[in-house]
Amino acid sequence: MTEMSSGKEEKAYRPLNTQDLLQGVLFRYVLEGNAASEEGRLAWVTSGFPVEIPVAMGITPTYPEQYGAVVGSQKVGPTVCGFAEEIGYSQELCSYARSSIGSTRKPELSPLEGLPKPQALLACNNICGTVLRWYDTISQMTGAPVFLLDTPPFEEEQQSHHLAYVRKGLDHLVEFLSSRFGVSLEEERLREVAANSSKAIGLWTKSLEACKNKPSPLNCADRFTTMAPVVTMRGAEHTIEFYQALYDEVRERVSQSVGAIRDERIRLLWDNIPPWFTIFRFFNGLAKRGVVFPADTYTHAWSGSLEGKDLFDSAATIYSNVYLNKGLQAKVDKMVELIKDYDLDGFVMFSVRSCKRYSLGQLVSKELVTEATGVPGVVIEGDMVDSRLFNEAQIQTRIDALLEMLE
Amino acid sequence: MSGRSLGIGLDVGSTTTKAVMVDSRGNILGSRVVPTGASGVGAAMRCLGELSRESGADTKNAPTISTGYGRSLIDFAEKSVTEITCHSIGVHHLNPSIRLLIDIGGQDSKVIRVGENGRPTDFELNDKCSAGTGRFLEVMARVLEVSIDELGPFALQSNSPCMISSTCTVFAESEVVGRIGAGESPKDIAAGVHAAMASKISTLSKRVGVVTPVCVTGGVALNPAFRYYLSKQLSAELWMPDNPQITGALGAALLALEP
Repeated sequence: MTEMSSGKEEKAYRPLNTQDLLQGVLFRYVLEGNAASEEGRLAWVTSGFPVEIPVAMGITPTYPEQYGAVVGSQKVGPTVCGFAEEIGYSQELCSYARSSIGSTRKPELSPLEGLPKPQALLACNNICGTVLRWYDTISQMTGAPVFLLDTPPFEEEQQSHHLAYVRKGLDHLVEFLSSRFGVSLEEERLREVAANSSKAIGLWTKSLEACKNKPSPLNCADRFTTMAPVVTMRGAEHTIEFYQALYDEVRERVSQSVGAIRDERIRLLWDNIPPWFTIFRFFNGLAKRGVVFPADTYTHAWSGSLEGKDLFDSAATIYSNVYLNKGLQAKVDKMVELIKDYDLDGFVMFSVRSCKRYSLGQLVSKELVTEATGVPGVVIEGDMVDSRLFNEAQIQTRIDALLEMLE
Repeated sequence: MSGRSLGIGLDVGSTTTKAVMVDSRGNILGSRVVPTGASGVGAAMRCLGELSRESGADTKNAPTISTGYGRSLIDFAEKSVTEITCHSIGVHHLNPSIRLLIDIGGQDSKVIRVGENGRPTDFELNDKCSAGTGRFLEVMARVLEVSIDELGPFALQSNSPCMISSTCTVFAESEVVGRIGAGESPKDIAAGVHAAMASKISTLSKRVGVVTPVCVTGGVALNPAFRYYLSKQLSAELWMPDNPQITGALGAALLALEP
C-alpha cells in the first residue's frame, strides 16, 4: 500500500533544471514592476489582455491573477482572501479577485507586500466578466483608472462586425494609454514586441507539443509553473531565452526517453486552473502511481501570435477567440483534440468554485468528451487558491476510482 | 475463482463499518455491520473479532481488502480499493444483470454505471454536502421526533406529501421546522422530505443514464419511503439485495480472493 522510499531510489518526479532559471526571471518581473510603479508607468493587466500594445508603448504590466497563484502557492489563500471577506466580499467571489482586493487592503500582511501600486488597470473580459467589477474595486482603492477591452462572447465563427467592434476597442486602448501616460505607439516598436511575443509563444508551444512523446517530458506542475513568463512577460527578450532553455531541456529529455515522471503508466488530461496550494503534492502524489498529465486545457491557452500586415486585426482576432470566450463546444473540441493528439487514457476536470467561466458546463462536457473519445473522466471540486474548499478525501476517492477504471 | 480459500472485505464508512467474509467461490460465510463511531479501526477489529468467533476462521491472517472513506486506516489490508469499484463488483456478483447502481451512504451518494465485467465504467458522486445522503434523513428524523428506522414507514402513511423545496440539510431543517410551526402533518412533512431527497438522487442518476433494472444499496436503501419515491421519479423498478449495506464489503472480499 505504501511506497517505500530509499535514499538511492530515484524520485517518482524529476524536477526541471529550468525551474532554477524561472526564479531569476520572476525576480526580475517583480523588480521591474516595482521600478515601473515608482516611475508612474505600471498597469495591472488581466491574463488575456493584448499586452503587446501597452508594452510597445513603454508601459510595464503586472498580473493580479498570477499574484493570486502566488498567494495560493504560499498557502495563505484563506488569510489573504479573508482580508476581502472582512469588508463584505462573499466567499463565492473569485479567489483571485479576493486575493487581489485583500492584499491591496492589507499589503503588509500579504506575500511580496502585495502588488506594486498601479497607474492604470487594463481589463479584458475574454476570460471572465468578474474582472471588470474586480478592477473597479481596485480602482476605488488605488485611484488608478480602469480601461475595459470588451470582447463579447460568441458561438462558432466570429462575425465581421464583432471583429470590427473589438478592433475599435484597441484604438480606444491606444488613446487611453496615450492620454493617461503621455506616450505614443510606434508601429515599428509594436512589430518588435509582437515578434518577441511570437517567438516566446512559438518555443512554448514546441515544448507543449513535445509532450506527445512517450514518456512525456513535462508533467502538469512543470507546465503550470513554467507558463508564468509567457503570461506575464511575453513581449520581452529575456522571456525568449527562458523558453529556449526550457525547450532545450525538453528536447534533451525526449532524445534520451527521459520522462517527467519515473514510471509513466497512465496519461491523463487536466482541465482548469490547478489547486496552487497543493500543486506539487497533488501531481507528485499521482506521479508515484505512474500517472502523468502530458496536456491540460489551461497552459495551451497561450498560443496565438500577433502577425500579418495589420497587427491590430490580428490582436482583435486572437484575443477574442480565446476558447473561454466561445461556446461550450469550443472547449469540448479542444479537450477531444488534446486527448487524441496526446494519446491520453482519461481526463480529470477540476471544478473550480472561483472560476465560473471555466467550470460552467463541465458535467455536460464530461459526457460529450467521453462520447467523442471513448475515454473516461472525472469531475473533482475545489478551488485554485482557497484551500478551505478542497476536500482531499473526497477528491482522492474520485481520482482513485478513475484510476481503478483504467487499470 | 482462485487458490485462496477465504477473502475478507472491510468497508469503513462514515456511519457504519461493514465486514464480509467469503469462501473461495464467493459464497458469503458471514457479515457484520457495526457503527463506526470515533474509531474506524476499532469498528473494523470488532467486526473481525465477531466473524472469527462465529466461524472459527482465522480472520487476522486472511487476505483482506479495505474500502470506504476509512480505507486507508486499515493498515493490515493487502490493498485499499474505492467503494465505487467494490460496490460495483459486489452487486454484479449478486445480480449480473444490473447496469446502474445507486448507493446511498451516510455521507455521500454514488451513482455507478456497472460494466458487463462488473467493473464501473462511469460514476457520479453527490456534491460536497450532506444533501441526498443518509445524514439528511437522520437530521430530518430528529426534527420530526421519529427514529431513523421508523421514518420511512411513517412517511408512507401520507397521502399528500408536503413540498419541501430545499435539499440542503441546513435549509431543509429550517423549512421543516417552519412546516411544523404552520401546523402541517408530520407524516406529510416526512413524505415531502423523502420526495425531495429522491428528486436529488434521481437527477444524479439521470446524469449517468438510467438503465433498468436499477439497483439500490447502502443504509438508505433500507428505507421503504425513499425506495418508493425514487422508483416513482425514475419511472423504474428498483432491485435491492437482501442486505443492501454490505455490497461494498462483499466486493472488497471478492477482490481479496484475487492473488
